[in-house]
Amino acid sequence: MRTILRDGSADAVRDRNASAWLIPAGQRRINEKLRAEMRHYDDGDEIDAVIVGCGAGGSTMLQRLARAGWRVAALDAGPFWDPDRDWVSDEAGSHHLYWTEPRVIAGTDPVPLGSNNSGRGVGGSMVHYAGFAPRFHPSDFHTASADGVGHDWPFAYDDLKPYYEAIEGELPVSGEDWPWGDPHRYPHAPHPVSGNGEVFQRGADALGIETRVGPVAITNGRFGHRQHCIYRGFCLQGCKVNAKASPLITHVPDALAHGAEVRPDAMVVSVEVDERTGRATGVRYVRDGVERFQRAAHVIVAGYSIETPRLLLHSTSKRFPDGLCNDFDLVGRYLMVQGAPQTGGRFADEIRMYKAPPPEVSSESFYETDPAKPYRRGFSIQTVSPLPITWSEHFAGQKVWGDDLRRQMRDFVHWACLGALCEFLAQPDNRVTLAGQRDRHGMPVAKFSYSQCDNDRALMKEASSTMEQILLAAGAEHVTTFHRYAHLVGGARMGTDERSGVVDGDCRSFAVPNLLVTDGSVLPTQGAANPALTIMSVAARAADRLVRRPDPRG
Amino acid sequence: MAARLPEHGVTPGHPHGDAPSRFPGFDALDQADAWDPVTAGVVLARLGPLPPLRFFTPQQESVARPLLDLILAQHEEPRVPVFEMVDQRLAELTTDGWRYEDLPPDPQAWARSLEAMESDALAEHGHGFAACSPDEQAGMLESLLDLGDGVWHGMHADRVWSLWSRYACTAFYSHPWAWNEIGWPGPAYPRGYKNPGVGTREPFEVPDAGPLESHGVPSRGTDGDR
Repeated sequence: MRTILRDGSADAVRDRNASAWLIPAGQRRINEKLRAEMRHYDDGDEIDAVIVGCGAGGSTMLQRLARAGWRVAALDAGPFWDPDRDWVSDEAGSHHLYWTEPRVIAGTDPVPLGSNNSGRGVGGSMVHYAGFAPRFHPSDFHTASADGVGHDWPFAYDDLKPYYEAIEGELPVSGEDWPWGDPHRYPHAPHPVSGNGEVFQRGADALGIETRVGPVAITNGRFGHRQHCIYRGFCLQGCKVNAKASPLITHVPDALAHGAEVRPDAMVVSVEVDERTGRATGVRYVRDGVERFQRAAHVIVAGYSIETPRLLLHSTSKRFPDGLCNDFDLVGRYLMVQGAPQTGGRFADEIRMYKAPPPEVSSESFYETDPAKPYRRGFSIQTVSPLPITWSEHFAGQKVWGDDLRRQMRDFVHWACLGALCEFLAQPDNRVTLAGQRDRHGMPVAKFSYSQCDNDRALMKEASSTMEQILLAAGAEHVTTFHRYAHLVGGARMGTDERSGVVDGDCRSFAVPNLLVTDGSVLPTQGAANPALTIMSVAARAADRLVRRPDPRG
Repeated sequence: MAARLPEHGVTPGHPHGDAPSRFPGFDALDQADAWDPVTAGVVLARLGPLPPLRFFTPQQESVARPLLDLILAQHEEPRVPVFEMVDQRLAELTTDGWRYEDLPPDPQAWARSLEAMESDALAEHGHGFAACSPDEQAGMLESLLDLGDGVWHGMHADRVWSLWSRYACTAFYSHPWAWNEIGWPGPAYPRGYKNPGVGTREPFEVPDAGPLESHGVPSRGTDGDR
């Protein structure tokens, strides 16, 4: 097996991914020449691979395959963002960063979509994620064996570790030496900490809870031609600085330089399969109102946990009457969100939590199953710092209104805020199906049903109470917790065989040999970690294995 | 950069002059020259004229205006034009896309819930919502909130509240007047921040002068929205 570069230094990264050096050195955030001279494939060309979706998983595939000499194009339903022109340093003005096509939510605990968990355009949800980039723990890969919950992955942590190291170098990730899970270091030093992070550290210290600064995918110092973070606090609105990593700047530039095409504003409506050979032949997509068909030797779906199942379910044929790769009714199932309560603490001092990236400090002290507790698995705690609209919606969600709402909001500068990520368990009925309603393309919209189980509720309660204790120990006058969710994974999970998963450990579907899924939907469990780094690492591993063995039956 | 009018610094609900403020003299717009032009364009447009009303019927408007004023305690002019901003979003379908299975898409859910509020007003008070006294209006809102996840005119009451309050909060707290009231400087690119840390401020931030009134105890505990 060839050696995978583990060195996160800039020179080592540049050799394998020059994205940060392809961005101009001045105040312009995109390389216009690179985009203008981008290769364009014809629909009739049978390219080596067409990728559906240009987010964390799709962009990583694109860059890796282009580097390997593949003729590859990524189609994205949204725009090819220009951070200078398209993004603003404003909360309400960033609505266009989110996937706001119609969707239906259901179940006993319906999960709102849109702004919190659904990206749009090249870069995907990583355009507006906070920037936390933790690894999963080794235990996440075998929770069924170890804890009797969840599902074992078809590979172990050690199989993914070299890819974690590679992607951490490419983003790059900054943070203190990490003591949890598989202890490791980060390529960039930790960022300085703001008032919100100070409060977390102070409260946790008082209770004997370990915290660490990071891990955040935000450059600390220059990296290539990307600039240092300016601590403006608008990470969730798209980083206009190019300091926070998203595939738009970490993988797409290098892909273009190696002959890949990014085809934005192209909505894929189905994956086509040859009835005789059973192989995928390409994708039907709509661009400028015209339906087209891109031929490809491999189809790689990376539309994330709602759109990937929706596309597969909508891609019916004689061979797959219930949706592509859905012979065993697994497509769309085992979709997960994390319970993500946020706890605010009101301090006499001014905290002004907006003055820094929301992601600063974490604790994974409660990540693993504690045999003394009535629940399995655990949660992590991180700094978050909601901006005024989100903060006011938190209070409104508690039915605070009128003069009380205005009074609470006048206290904005006095609040610190922590967020937890609780490992909710994968359940078969938490799933995407097709609704009767159709979108403007005439395609049925996704219906996402979600219901919590007892373990989920117990975790959420414990995480909330722990955060309240930390903030009170830090000196908060009073605390309050807002219940919410974060992240999406699962929906087309990996398994060891076609009855346990839609794809195998290489992200290749069991049913169609030249069809892969390389986004968050393949994750069988989610840990208590933000998923972006793992999604990219799983995609990088899948690309590596695809390049080495393009046709398993050939 | 656009010339600034003196009333930009006015906090809605407190007419221009010596109205009390938690952050005396603070005006987020004082920093507008330091904002990038794309952001400045988006934010300053909120201070300009809004398009004519297109979505709400006059009857729906008669409920929505006082309802939004109630939710946001906008008792007098100058107001952040929340009603107009909501009308614009619904007319242009600038929604979040998702909807609850048991509710129609946002525009229809707004129309249906406002008409339900009007029918409650007629049934309970014998006149429309707009003609209700502030106490009657507040009482009707409280009754709705007390239903929790119970059903109100065929809709889950808490989901109706979620719809109204999300649109109200997004409109109000996107406006620089509201930022002045809470001491938040708004856009921060390309300037960034140099002085993070407890109790520290940038030169353009104004310290909290203390409560306008004695504070009520805020809602406590962990039972937020679902």
